[in-house]
Amino acid sequence: MIRRFFDQALLYHKGRSAAFQTEEFVLMQIGYPLVTMIFYCLIATFSFNTANLTSWVIGNAFLLCTNACIFGLGGIFVSERYFGRLRSIIASPCSKMSLILASGVFPALFAICSSACGLIVGSIVFGVDFSGVNMPLVALAIIIAMISASCFGLFVSIYGLMTDSMHLILNIVSYLLMIFTGAEFPIKQLPFAGQVIAQMMPLTKAIMAVNKLFEGNVREFSSLIIAEILTGAVYALLTYAIFGFAEKVARRNGKFDMF
Amino acid sequence: MIKVIIGTMLVQMKQSFARPMFRFCLIANPILNTILLYEMYKESGETNYMAYVVLGAGLMGLWSCICFSSAGDINRERYSGTLALIFAAPARFPSIILGKIIGNTIMSLLTMVISLITAKALFGISLKLESPIYFFVALIAAIIAFIVISSVIACILTLSRKTELYMNCIEIPIILLCGFVFPVSVLPYGVRVISYALSPTYAIELMRMAVWGVTDKAVFIEKLGILLGLTVVYAIFSVILYRRIDKRVRIAATLEVA
Repeated sequence: MIRRFFDQALLYHKGRSAAFQTEEFVLMQIGYPLVTMIFYCLIATFSFNTANLTSWVIGNAFLLCTNACIFGLGGIFVSERYFGRLRSIIASPCSKMSLILASGVFPALFAICSSACGLIVGSIVFGVDFSGVNMPLVALAIIIAMISASCFGLFVSIYGLMTDSMHLILNIVSYLLMIFTGAEFPIKQLPFAGQVIAQMMPLTKAIMAVNKLFEGNVREFSSLIIAEILTGAVYALLTYAIFGFAEKVARRNGKFDMF
Repeated sequence: MIKVIIGTMLVQMKQSFARPMFRFCLIANPILNTILLYEMYKESGETNYMAYVVLGAGLMGLWSCICFSSAGDINRERYSGTLALIFAAPARFPSIILGKIIGNTIMSLLTMVISLITAKALFGISLKLESPIYFFVALIAAIIAFIVISSVIACILTLSRKTELYMNCIEIPIILLCGFVFPVSVLPYGVRVISYALSPTYAIELMRMAVWGVTDKAVFIEKLGILLGLTVVYAIFSVILYRRIDKRVRIAATLEVA
C-alpha cells in the first residue's frame, strides 16, 4: 500500500513535469519564485525604508511554495477531468484520501527546496544574518509550513469540482496568501476581520514562528508551530470531507461536476 | 489593413473578456495589488499614493493582461488549430496580431481605473495629478510602447510550444526591472543598465513625473524622446523578427515548432 502511494505520487509528479526540460522545471519551481521574492523584498526596502529585511525574506521564502502548493496542486482535479481520469477516481473503490495526499508529496518536497533556497538567496542578497538562529528548528518550521500549505492547496483544488474558473481562483488565492499571511506587511496593520482571516490561513503562524525564532523566543515558536500543524490538519480533513460530498453528489447525479 | 485591425480588435476584446484568467488580470489583479501595495506603502511616509500604489497596481494589472493575453494568444490559436490558418490568411498575420494586441491593451487600461476606484473606495485616496496634460501625453506614449513590446513578445513566442511557461516567467521580472512599484534607483547599478534598455521604464517614469508635477520640461521631453526612440527600435526589431519567422515557418511548412 505504501509502495502504491509513492508510485502514485511519482506518477502525479511525472504528469505535471513531463512537458518541461530540467532547466525549465527548475526555472518554474525555483528561479521564478526567487525573482518574485526579490521583487517583494525590494518593495519593502523602499516602502518601509529599511535595510533589515529579515522578516520579509522569511515571509517571502515561505511564500515561494505558492507555485508548487497552490498552482501545482490546485489544478489537480481540473487536470484529472481534462485527461479523463476523474471518472476512474470517483468510481474506483480505492482510498480517496491516499490519492489526494499522494498528489501533494512532490509539490511539498519542491516547496521545501524552494523555501530553503529562498532563505539562502535572501541571506546572500539582502544580508539576513542566520548566526545564533536554531537551524534545525527553522528546518522543522519549513517542513511543517510546506505540508500545511500543501493541505491548503488540496483544499483549494476541490473547487475544481465546483467551478470551471480555477485559474481565477488560484490567482486570487495566491494574492490572499500575500495579503493575509504577514509575509509582506505586519498582520496588525489589517482591520480586525482581516486579522481573523489571517489566523485561518496556512503559513501565517509558521512565518510568525520563524520570526520569533530569529528574536530568540523558542517558547512562542513551539505554540505557533503546533497551531500551524492544526491548521494544515483542518484543511486536510476539510478536503477529505468535501471530496466525499462531491463523490456522493457525482454518484447521485451521474455526473462529475457540481457546476 | 485598418479594417482587419479594427475587426480583430473588437473580436479580441470579446474573446479576452470571456476568459476567466483575463478577467482576473483585468478586475481582480488591480484590486488585490492596490490593497497589497497600499498596506506596504502605508508606513512609508509617502503622501501621494497615486505614484506608487494606484499607478503601480494599475500598471502591474496592465502588464499582466499583456503577458497572459497578448503573449498567450499565439498559444491559444495553436491550441484551437487556427494558428496556421491566420498565419497563411491573405489578411496578413502581423495585422491580425496587431489587432489582437491593440484590443487587449486598450481594454487593459481599465486596470488603472479599477485601481483608482479601489484606492478611493477602500482607503479614501483621491486622484492627485499635478500635470494632467503631461500625464495624458505619457499615457499615450506608454500605450504605444506597450503595444510594440507586446508584438515583439508575441513574435518570439510564435516559435515556442511552451508559451505558458514563458509568459509566466516574464511577468514579475519586467515589473521589477522597469520599476513599476518602486523607483529604478533602488536596483543595483548593473541591473539598472538593463532597466534603462527597456522602454516601459521610461513610460513609468514619465507618468510618475506627471503625477508629482513636471517641474523640468526639458527632462520630461528628453525621457519622452528616449521612450519614442526605443519604441521605434523595438518596432524595427519586431518587423525583422517577423520576417525571419515567416521565412522559417514557410521553409519548415509548420508552426508546430518547439
